[in-house]
Amino acid sequence: MHANQHPTRSPGRLKFTDAEPTAAAPSVLAALARGAGFFGFWLLLARPGTDAPSTPDLAADLVVGLLAAAAAAWVSLRLLPPARKRLHVGALARLAVHFVWQSMVAGVDVARRAFDPRLPLNPGYLAYPVRLAPGTGRAAFGAVTSLLPGTLPVGTGADDALVYHCLDLDQPVAAGLARDEALLARVRGGGGSCR
Amino acid sequence: MRLALDLFTIVAVTLGAIFFLAGTVGLLRFPDTLTRLHALTKADNLGLGLVVLGLLPQATAPLGWIGLIAVWLLALLSGATVGQLLAEAVRPPEWDQTRTPDAPPVGHPNAPEASSHD
Repeated sequence: MHANQHPTRSPGRLKFTDAEPTAAAPSVLAALARGAGFFGFWLLLARPGTDAPSTPDLAADLVVGLLAAAAAAWVSLRLLPPARKRLHVGALARLAVHFVWQSMVAGVDVARRAFDPRLPLNPGYLAYPVRLAPGTGRAAFGAVTSLLPGTLPVGTGADDALVYHCLDLDQPVAAGLARDEALLARVRGGGGSCR
Repeated sequence: MRLALDLFTIVAVTLGAIFFLAGTVGLLRFPDTLTRLHALTKADNLGLGLVVLGLLPQATAPLGWIGLIAVWLLALLSGATVGQLLAEAVRPPEWDQTRTPDAPPVGHPNAPEASSHD
């Protein structure tokens, strides 16, 4: 269970964009890498040239795709500057499995409540003192937990706690959040305030 | 084999449609904006996931599969983000006074925090 917590560097650690925000050349590299990634994603979704491929049409499509990829890369660099950060792949896989399972639990839970004639709800708020620092980690935590059973982050309250709206306060909401946070912290290797 | 895959598609897409229906029923029946957001984000996430899962056997491998899964992930990401933004926009400023039931939630370590706001 705890094999991936071992402090020594394991092959399961993957190094992502490793440019410093201050260095000029690496940030160009990061921009190119991200642009290429977005363009590949665009190719995948738009699939230009699959129906009635004519060269001018295809060229026009590709120009639009390149412009879109460049815009996406620019926005992504503005919102999420490249930084040195390693993601823990094994922990990420565990988080993904946990996430898929909890998504199913969440959907079934909400459907059961919606279809129940008595409408069993006990909504309320809960302040969760999140340990992840503001930035990417906390944003990821909010996004993940907003899709998990009965919790919806509504903002930051007193003492820097995340405020959750809960469908049913009788559920062990805080325990579930703590488990999600531990999983996410392990993905991010426990250190670093933002990526 | 083809028949089995088609049956799988029918079952999974139907289940997905049921969860979409559940989300809409929740939208209509739940008492306020925040609880309705719960219904929409969670039920539709699962519903779309089941529809995508059901359509996988009908799509061409591997590009069609990747495209379908990418659509699901994009919808997840936007749903999670927009859900939080909407929730933050509509929550009442006195969030801990209005909705917390008579007793603060017992049995978890955050109960004192829930009443110390303001």
